[in-house]
Amino acid sequence: MKYLGLIWANLGRNKLRSALTGGAIMLAVILVCVLLTMPAGLNAILEHVSNNTRISVHAKGGLVYQMPYSFTRKVRQVDGVAAAMAQTWFGGAFEEAGRVTFPNFAVEPEQVGAVYPDYPIAAEQLADFQRYRDGALAGRQVMRKYGWKIGDRITLRSTAWPVNLDLRIVGEIASDRYPSVWMSREYLDQALKAAGRPGLGTVGIIWVRAADPNRVNSIMRQIDEMSRNSEYETACETEKSFISNFFGSLQGFVTIILIVTGLVALCIVFIAANTASMAVRERAGELAVLKAIGFGRRVIFATLLAEAVALSVVAGGAGVLASVGLTGALRVFAGWSDALGPLGGFIVTAPVIVQGVFLSLFVGMLAGVVPSWGAARKPVVQTLHEVF
Amino acid sequence: MPLPVSYSLRNLRARPGRSAMTASVVALVVVACSLFLGLISSLKRTIVSTGNPLNLVVMRKGSDNDGSSQLSLEAYQALRFFDGIARDAEDRPLASPELVVQPFLRTKDGGRENVLVRGVQPVALAVHEQVRVIEGRMLTPSSHEVIVGRGVLGRYEGAALGSDLHMGRGTWKVVGIFDADGSSFESEVWADVRELGNDAKRFFPYSGLRLRVVSPADVEPLIRRIDDDPRYALEAQRETDYYAKQSESANSLYVLVVGIAILAGIGAGFGASNTMYAAVQSRTAEIGTLRALGFSRAAILSAFEIEAVLLSGLGFVIGAGCAVGLSALLGVLLGGVAFGAATFTTNVITLRVGTSDLMGAFVLAFTIGIFSGLGPAWRAARLRPIEALRKA
Repeated sequence: MKYLGLIWANLGRNKLRSALTGGAIMLAVILVCVLLTMPAGLNAILEHVSNNTRISVHAKGGLVYQMPYSFTRKVRQVDGVAAAMAQTWFGGAFEEAGRVTFPNFAVEPEQVGAVYPDYPIAAEQLADFQRYRDGALAGRQVMRKYGWKIGDRITLRSTAWPVNLDLRIVGEIASDRYPSVWMSREYLDQALKAAGRPGLGTVGIIWVRAADPNRVNSIMRQIDEMSRNSEYETACETEKSFISNFFGSLQGFVTIILIVTGLVALCIVFIAANTASMAVRERAGELAVLKAIGFGRRVIFATLLAEAVALSVVAGGAGVLASVGLTGALRVFAGWSDALGPLGGFIVTAPVIVQGVFLSLFVGMLAGVVPSWGAARKPVVQTLHEVF
Repeated sequence: MPLPVSYSLRNLRARPGRSAMTASVVALVVVACSLFLGLISSLKRTIVSTGNPLNLVVMRKGSDNDGSSQLSLEAYQALRFFDGIARDAEDRPLASPELVVQPFLRTKDGGRENVLVRGVQPVALAVHEQVRVIEGRMLTPSSHEVIVGRGVLGRYEGAALGSDLHMGRGTWKVVGIFDADGSSFESEVWADVRELGNDAKRFFPYSGLRLRVVSPADVEPLIRRIDDDPRYALEAQRETDYYAKQSESANSLYVLVVGIAILAGIGAGFGASNTMYAAVQSRTAEIGTLRALGFSRAAILSAFEIEAVLLSGLGFVIGAGCAVGLSALLGVLLGGVAFGAATFTTNVITLRVGTSDLMGAFVLAFTIGIFSGLGPAWRAARLRPIEALRKA
């Protein structure tokens, strides 16, 4: 503890250098944290959003292969199924974008509560969703991106069906992890009939909630068995497996993000090491004097290393804090990006913070260890010779 | 009189370790930046290079891609005889009715991806001139055969010449492999349009129509005629415009990468500044001497500025070399990067760091050099000769 003053004074000796190094470390930690939120966003969805009692029932051939809507009723009768909800891709484009900027689906409002008891939707908003045929529930990300409020009316122009739907926002899915908009299936069905189409006789995915997690596998087997050899063979999977498969094609991109993150982290090590070695070089005489008057190698080594670590931890900590603010801003401006999908959530999670802090600690150690060791080991006489 | 460039150059060698460390920092930022830029431009290039300016895409009004469009048989029969459509040697219109379905294909590593499968008639090869069967042969209609693009090849189970590919409700024989100048057609599987429609149980036989027009002058009138036809509620656009629009979602990635590059650049600039300040500090006496000899402040300023730019230039050269090598290595290891979760189809792109990506990184490195040298060079130029000499 008594050396704290010395470490602090040494950091303050070349204020400009400490500030530049600290700034560089801070920026790099911000970058690393922001980049890490991308793969972390994917993991968070897998861990928190998906639920091990929820099952996705979809056609074996692919999500675009539809199942007859009547199959939903059969699924509901399967032993152990607590609830089932039909979900159909609406592919609505909002305003001038002309393309789908957030996922949106037609669902069965009366089933939402039973299939998604874990979703943060206020009870009265859910009741409104069931009451109003033109009601819609929107994820918080979308609400914020477009500045929607409860009670707003919006029009979604479908890219998948030949209809436009006028919707009233009746509720919010109150979490940043849900970028979707849900509307009533019946409303879409009637709109299609009004447009002279046969109506919505099919369904893309049936989401099932099992009453008991232990029976998930048997339910999946039963449903697949029911559809075997029909024209719409199904492939059931848990929500977790569904999501991880759905975003599996992002793996290559994630690899590149991780490589870039690693490069940026390596950058900080170099910058911090450079600073540490400059500090040691300039103070060679002083260190020799310290040693000559009796300070041990260990003390010299420890104070020099502590100096490097203190700088990078303080700067890194500031970087972690700044990244929380920056990602907040990114979320407001970028919202759900169709190119990034779940990678574009930009939510700094606890693991990201821990990684950021550990990175700065690690950087300080790695950068400080070689110069400090060298300085501590150098014989006093030799150093004094060089200096005087 | 300015100081010779060799002065700045030799100074870089005075403290080789420090110079190397700083150049490495710039090099790392260059690698990171050009890798990201390369990824996005490869994605854009893949999508944008798809299509022919003389081709039109006809889709249902309101749909934004092949997959969500529908086209009836009557509409196809009527449209193919519209004026302005080119004809082949046997006087058949170059109109290719197509059905797009995105079934699951199982990847080699056990996952699955939505792959764009295009149901076609033999005329498709004449309309899409980019697409050439390079191995095997074109599929024969009504015999459950498919041809696969080069990007698909080897990525999915059964996607090899002569193999059985499980897709949709059935099993298909792979009889050919096609190339399409690196465009996104290469990430597709082509099947017989009627068989694919049966497999997917589609109500409409086609999702859209691709037309070749006779000459550029025919494009606009034909688009207007299709758009205005009240019978079918269809709309037409240039094939190149269609793919340019599909690539728009990549633009939001550019914003992200530019942001990252700027932050990383500022960080690297701070690091380089540190080195340059140290250089000025350790050379105080030398600068004093130079000033005493009559070199102007401007000469000192530019000498240090040049040194900083040289340093980051060195970083750029190292970084650019590493980036090109790394992207080639990643190409071999990853075998193409897959993209596109939200569009429901997977685009397999070949990662390539091109000249334009390196230009972007060069601008970054150059800016780092200029700005990191500014402060130290200014400090050096302001040193008063007498004090500088005395300090030493």
